[in-house]
Amino acid sequence: MTNRRISIKDGLLTGPLDQLDSVHLAGSRCTSCAETSLGTNLACPNCGGDDLTHVALGDSGTLFTYTIVRHRPPGAYQGPAEFKPFGLGLVELDGLIRVMAPLRPAIEDLKIGMPLKFLPYVLRTNENDEDVVAFAYESVGE
Amino acid sequence: MGDVYIIGAGMHPFGRFEKTYEQIGSEAAALALKDADVEWRDVQAAFMARMYLPATSGCRILRKLGGTDISVIDVEAACASGGAALRQAVLAIKSGDVDLALVCGTEKMPRGFMDPAMIYSPWQVELGISQNPSYWSMRAMRHMHDYGTTEEQIAKVAHKNHRNSVHNKYAMYQKEFSMEQILASPLVCDPIRLLEICSPNDGAAALVVVSERKMRELGKKGIRIAGISHSIARYSSDFRCPADSMSATVDNLGPTRVTAQRVYEAAGIGVEDIDCFEVQDTDAFCEIELYEELGLCPIGEGGRLIDSGEVEIVGRKPVNMSGGLISKGEPIGASHLGQVVELVEQLRGNCGPRQVEGAKVALGHVLGAGGNCAITVLER
Repeated sequence: MTNRRISIKDGLLTGPLDQLDSVHLAGSRCTSCAETSLGTNLACPNCGGDDLTHVALGDSGTLFTYTIVRHRPPGAYQGPAEFKPFGLGLVELDGLIRVMAPLRPAIEDLKIGMPLKFLPYVLRTNENDEDVVAFAYESVGE
Repeated sequence: MGDVYIIGAGMHPFGRFEKTYEQIGSEAAALALKDADVEWRDVQAAFMARMYLPATSGCRILRKLGGTDISVIDVEAACASGGAALRQAVLAIKSGDVDLALVCGTEKMPRGFMDPAMIYSPWQVELGISQNPSYWSMRAMRHMHDYGTTEEQIAKVAHKNHRNSVHNKYAMYQKEFSMEQILASPLVCDPIRLLEICSPNDGAAALVVVSERKMRELGKKGIRIAGISHSIARYSSDFRCPADSMSATVDNLGPTRVTAQRVYEAAGIGVEDIDCFEVQDTDAFCEIELYEELGLCPIGEGGRLIDSGEVEIVGRKPVNMSGGLISKGEPIGASHLGQVVELVEQLRGNCGPRQVEGAKVALGHVLGAGGNCAITVLER
């Protein structure tokens, strides 16, 4: 029996979670100001308008900026038990939005402007035997 | 609505101490009262800035000075807590409700990275999007890409601030580090290194503020608060924590530019009228960006400004004469009030080897989570 899957945050992902190929980041497009925001929102974080269309954000992006996290993040970090430095960056999608996300490419390969693609994955199984789906960005061609 | 003046300033050193926060805070408050030559019973309202301390910290700290029934409230606005608290005191005096108030900032914080649960959502913590320096580092990386700012220029800021702290008895590290030592210190979040970031720590700072009428009655000559403002970041104008995304289409002014514009307007001055600055050097790059946002140089020119030497104590626009947060540490509730204590002493001409000659107008700036920004301009 496979576990039920849930999003790491309600409203952050869209699509059937048991078919990761069809999962995308969720966005909300404002009818008034045309701003696209991350997640399934009730009001536009730009203008406050409440007429929003819920959309799937594009899976392809480019790296706007990044850093390399050299030490294990504090608190309930769910990364590998043996910490490995990783990239963290803002990935620009379709000229609309820049999403903060962990980056999968090797740290020495990271470069502003490089193309990246969305990677939903199962991060962990929670205390209710549900698989928690999270996301990162990986190199194009992987 | 008359002006508001600072007639007393006191500070407990920033560092790590085997003392309770009640001791640390009450010592700073007592020093400010002594400096103002007033008694605790003369205080009509008190504001306690803090972020990491428990509820009713203000009462617990200030009751050590003696019994009271005045309004004592805790104020929290992340790294801008001290500015938000001072602003409340200024408003209380300008409203006519009180004419003598105490503002105190106190903090006692654990070592290491800040507790991410304080400022991030649980999912961000799980993914490791929760380590404070990472946000500043991403800004630095983009600035280097867009404007050619270098790691050496960033290190120069840390070098300057550590060097300035050598004569500041309130700083945690009163130690000069060479450029080589700074550039050889471990990377924390590329391109930012260990000797280029501030540490959370313990400390307190306090001010006694009064109306002009009260100042005359007491026969004091105070430092005038020429302007004070606090704001949070406009939509998508700052990707400090806990931002999960930024707009690629909206280009709002950042919180420092918005707050600075408000203060400059309120004070009727421009950046050219300000003689010295204490700014939020959470990391060395942050200070470079702030040169630009405060108007000390055009956008993109911050790296060249540190190269020019103009921000040294003997330069045309001294920044972080105290050694900044990089050398003092950042006890969050106390950090802005600590800046203001330094600036009051600069305007009084009491700063010895780190004195800015002839300083008449001074600016203190803090910026942190949520894009909370506070700026205070003082004039003697």
